[in-house]
Amino acid sequence: MIRFGGRKKVNKVKSVFNKVDRAFMKLEEFLLSFSIILISIMIVGNVFARELFDSGAFYFAYEVSKFAIIITTFLGISYVARKGRHISMSAFYDFAPMKVRKVMMIIINLVTAAVMFVLAYYTYGFVMAEYESNAITTSLQLPRYLMYIFLPIGFFVTGVQFLRNTFVNFTKKAKDKVYLGTDAVDYNDEKDKEVKLEDISSV
Amino acid sequence: ACGGDDNEDTGNNEEGQEESENDSGDSGSESASDVEYEEQEWEFVTEELKGQVQYEYAAEFADRIKEKTNGKITVTPYEYGALGSEVDQAQLLQDGGVQMAVMSPGFTGGQVPDGQIFSLHYFFPADPKLTQEVLNTSEALNKDLRAKYEEHSISPLAFWSEGSMAWTSNVGIEKPSDWEGLNMRVQESPLMKKTYDAYGASVQSLSWGELYTALDRETVDAQENPVFFIESASFHEVQDTLTISRHNNYIAMTTVNTEWYNGLGDAEKQLIDETVEEMQSWVFEEQKKQNDAGLEAIKNDSEYDTKIIELTDEQIAEFKKVAEPVHEYYKNEVEGIDPAIYDKLKKEIEEVSGE
Amino acid sequence: MLATLLSIMIVFLFLNFPMMIPLILGPLLVMFIYNGDKLDLLMNTFMKQLLTGIESPVLLCVPLFIFAADIMTAGKTSQRLLDFVGSFIGHIRGGYAVTTAASCTMFGAISGSTQATVVAIGRPMRERLLKNGYKDSSAMALIINSSDVALLIPPSIGMIIYALAAGQGVSVGDLFIAGIIPGLIVFLAFAIYSIIYAKVKNLPLAPKASWKERFHFFKKALLPLGFPVLIVGGIYQGWFTPVEASGISVLYALILEVLIFRTIPFTRIPKIALSTGLVTSAVFILVAGGQMFTWVLGYARIPQQITEAVLGTDPSQLYVLAIVSIFFFIGCMFVDPIVVILILTPIFVPAAQSAGIDLIHLGIIITFQAALGSATPPFGVDIFTASAVFKKPYLEVIKSTPPYIAMLLVIGVLLILFPQLSLALIN
Ligand code: NA
Ligand code: NA
Repeated sequence: MIRFGGRKKVNKVKSVFNKVDRAFMKLEEFLLSFSIILISIMIVGNVFARELFDSGAFYFAYEVSKFAIIITTFLGISYVARKGRHISMSAFYDFAPMKVRKVMMIIINLVTAAVMFVLAYYTYGFVMAEYESNAITTSLQLPRYLMYIFLPIGFFVTGVQFLRNTFVNFTKKAKDKVYLGTDAVDYNDEKDKEVKLEDISSV
Repeated sequence: ACGGDDNEDTGNNEEGQEESENDSGDSGSESASDVEYEEQEWEFVTEELKGQVQYEYAAEFADRIKEKTNGKITVTPYEYGALGSEVDQAQLLQDGGVQMAVMSPGFTGGQVPDGQIFSLHYFFPADPKLTQEVLNTSEALNKDLRAKYEEHSISPLAFWSEGSMAWTSNVGIEKPSDWEGLNMRVQESPLMKKTYDAYGASVQSLSWGELYTALDRETVDAQENPVFFIESASFHEVQDTLTISRHNNYIAMTTVNTEWYNGLGDAEKQLIDETVEEMQSWVFEEQKKQNDAGLEAIKNDSEYDTKIIELTDEQIAEFKKVAEPVHEYYKNEVEGIDPAIYDKLKKEIEEVSGE
Repeated sequence: MLATLLSIMIVFLFLNFPMMIPLILGPLLVMFIYNGDKLDLLMNTFMKQLLTGIESPVLLCVPLFIFAADIMTAGKTSQRLLDFVGSFIGHIRGGYAVTTAASCTMFGAISGSTQATVVAIGRPMRERLLKNGYKDSSAMALIINSSDVALLIPPSIGMIIYALAAGQGVSVGDLFIAGIIPGLIVFLAFAIYSIIYAKVKNLPLAPKASWKERFHFFKKALLPLGFPVLIVGGIYQGWFTPVEASGISVLYALILEVLIFRTIPFTRIPKIALSTGLVTSAVFILVAGGQMFTWVLGYARIPQQITEAVLGTDPSQLYVLAIVSIFFFIGCMFVDPIVVILILTPIFVPAAQSAGIDLIHLGIIITFQAALGSATPPFGVDIFTASAVFKKPYLEVIKSTPPYIAMLLVIGVLLILFPQLSLALIN
C-alpha cells in the first residue's frame, strides 16, 4: 500500500482507520455509560415497584443488572487500557528514568496483550460449551451464552488495544514520552496536567 | 443412547426395595473382601457446608467407600464455595473435572427444565415418607428424567429429600388467602411467579446475602427453606412464625459424570450403586434428625419467640386446590419440559399415595 | 504450589503490570503446571470464575455508590458540607484540620468510596490548609487518613464486599451500624491530634463565624445532611436493602444536584456515568481475577492448610484476630482493599467462627485494617491516589503519615480488645 499509494493514500488509510477507531471508542463509551445508568434504573425501579405497589414487576432487575455488569466489566477493560487506567502497583516503575519506563511499558503491554488473547481463546471455548448446553437464564429465559459472549469479545478487543499501546511507544510522538495507553501519556511525563476524579481508577 | 445400561441398574433398584437386605448383605460383603480395587481418588462436591445434610452425605459416602475398598479408593468431599457457585459445580461435574456431586435440580434448571417439577407445590405427597418412596421407585425420575440429565453428562443415581420446605413470615400462614399482598423471596423464575401469584403474593428477587436483614426490616415478608436450613441461617430470629407447610421438598440428587461412570469397571459401578442405595435410608434419617433438631432449637430459643404452625390435612387440601392449576401451567406452558414425564410421575405419585 | 503462585503474582505485581495480570496469570500458570493433565476437564469451570466473581447481586452497590459519589463530587454537595462544618468549628485551634477530618467523616457518611472523599474534600481543604500555614506533607497525610474513615462510616463498599465474601448470616445493615463508633473514634483521635499539632506549631486561627452565618450554611447543608438520615433510616425502615440503598443514593444525588441545586445539567450525567463505568471495569476485572485465584486455591484445598498452619487447631479469639489484622494490614499495603477482602475473608471466616468470634466484629476489624493498610507506606493505594491528585512526589506524600499510622494501630488494638466498640450499637 505504502509503495504504490504514496503519502496521500497512507494519510487516507490513516484517516479511515482513525474514524473507525473513534467510532469504536464512542461505542465503548456509550455502552459503559448506558450500563451504569441501566443498573441505577433497575435497582431503583425494583425498590419503587415493591415498596409502593407491592409488585414484583421488576423481577428481572437483577438479571438485567447482571448483563450490564458483565458488559461494563469485560467491554470496559479495553477502554480502560486505551486510557491507561488499569490499576497497577507503580511504586518502582515511577522511580525509573524515562528510557527504562519506556522499555518496561513496551514489555508490559506486549505481555498483557498475549495474556488477553489466551483468555479470549479459553473463554471462547467456555462460551461454545455454554452454547451447546442450551442453558437458559432464570428470569428472562434467554440463552445463557448471550450473557457470557462478552468475555471472549472483550478480551480479544483488549488484546488488540494492548498491542496498540505497545506500538504507540514506537511512534514519533512518543519520542520523549512514555505512553501508558494510546490515549494516555505517562503521568510521570506530564506533571502539569490537572488530575480529576475521572482520572482515578480505584474505589 | 448411553442410558441403556444404567436404566437396567435403576430397574434393579426398583425391585431392590424389598430385596435390599439381600443386596447389601451378600453382594456387599463379597465386593468388600474379594475385589481388589485399584488405587483411585474421587472428588465429590456438594452445595452445602460442613455439618449440613449434603456435606454429611458426601462424608458418610466417603467413609463407606473407604471401608469397603480397604482404603484403596478415597473420596474427597468438598464444601460449598470451595469451587465456585452451584452452577460452576454442575459444570465441573459435566466436564469431568470432578467425578461426583450432590446437586439440587434448581441449579440445573437452565439446562434441564424438567428439574423444576420438584418445585411444584403440593405435587408430591405431603408425607415425607411417601415422597421418599416415590423418589426411590419412580421410573419417571430414575429412568426418564435421568436420561434427560445424561444428555448433559450428568447421571443422577438417586433422588432424595433434605426435608419438606417450610414458610416463615410475620403473618402466620395457615390458608392461601394469608398470602394476599405479601412479598415472597424466592427464585425469580416464571414458574415461581405463577405459583405465588396463585396465592396472591408477589415474588421478589433478593440476594441471599441480604435476606436476613430484609426479613428483619420487613423489606420482604416471607421465605421458604427446609427447617434445618432456617435454623442455621437464623431466619427464625427475624420472623414471628414458621409454617410447616410441606408444600414441596428440597430435593437433592446424587450424581456422577456420565462418561466417567460408564467407563468404570463393573466392580466399581456396583460399589457405587450399592452404596448410593444404602445411603437412601441413611440420608432420610440424617435429614430427619437435622430437621427435628432444627425445629427443637427454634422452639427452645428463649431469646426469639417463634410460633410454629403445622398445617392440618384440611388446610393442606385447601392449599392444594389453589396450587393444582399451576401444575397444569407447568405441564402446558413451561419452556422445554417433557409433559410425558409429568404425566407418568403424577400417576406414580397417585399409586404411592393411594389416591 | 502456593509458593509458586505467590512468586509469579509478586513478580508481575512489582513490575507494574496491570494488577489483573498477576491475579489472572498466576492462577492460569498454576493450572498449566499442576493440573496440565486435567486441563480440558477443568478449564471451562476455571474460566467461568471470571463471571462468578462479579455476578453476585451484592456487588451492584459498588458502581452505584461510586456513581452517587461522582455526581456529588461534580456538584456542590461537598462544598456545602465544608462550609457548614467550617462555620461551626473552623475558628478553634487547629480548626482547618479538624474541619477536614470532620468533613471527610461526613462525606464518608454519604459516600461509600475512599477515593471520592480524597478528591471531593481533600482538594478544596488542602488549599485552605496550605494558605493557613500547614506544610503540604501534613495536609496530605491528614487528608489521606481522614478519607479512609469513609470505609468505616456507613455506607461502606468495603463492608459490603466483606459481607459478600463472608457468606451466610452476615447482615450488611448490622455491619453499617457497627462501623459508626469505630469511625467516630478515628475521627476524634485525628481531631485531638490536629488541635495539639496546631498548638505546638502555633498555627493561625480563623475568624469565628456568626450565628447568622452558621444558620445560613446549615440551611444550605440541610439537604446533603439528609443523605445519611435517608440511607440509614430507609434501611432501618425496610424500604430498601443496603445494596438497594446505593441506587437510592444515586437518585438522591441526582435530585439534589440536577433538580434542586442545578449545579449539573442533565446532559452531563452520561459523561459522569462513563467515568463511573471506567472505574467499575478497572475494579471488577480484579474482582473477577480474584475469584480465579480463590478457585485455584479451593481446588488444591489450600485454605484449610493455611488456617491449620497459621492458626493451629484450637486458637484463642485474640490470636485469630491478631493474625487476621496482620494479614489484612499487610495485604492492603500492596493490593486494592476490595481484592484483599475478597481473597482473604473466606480463608479466615471458618477459623474465626470456630473460635467463636462474632462475624460482625470480625468484619469491623477487617474493614479497619483494610482502611489502615491502604493508607500505609510503602504501597497503600491511597498514597498513589494522593500523589496523582495533588501532583506531589511519593516521598512528600508519606513524610507525615507516621503519627496517623501510629494512632490507627493503637485504635486497631483497642478494637480487637473491646468487641463492644463494634457491637454495642447493635445489641
Ligand atoms: Na421468631
Ligand atoms: Na462511607
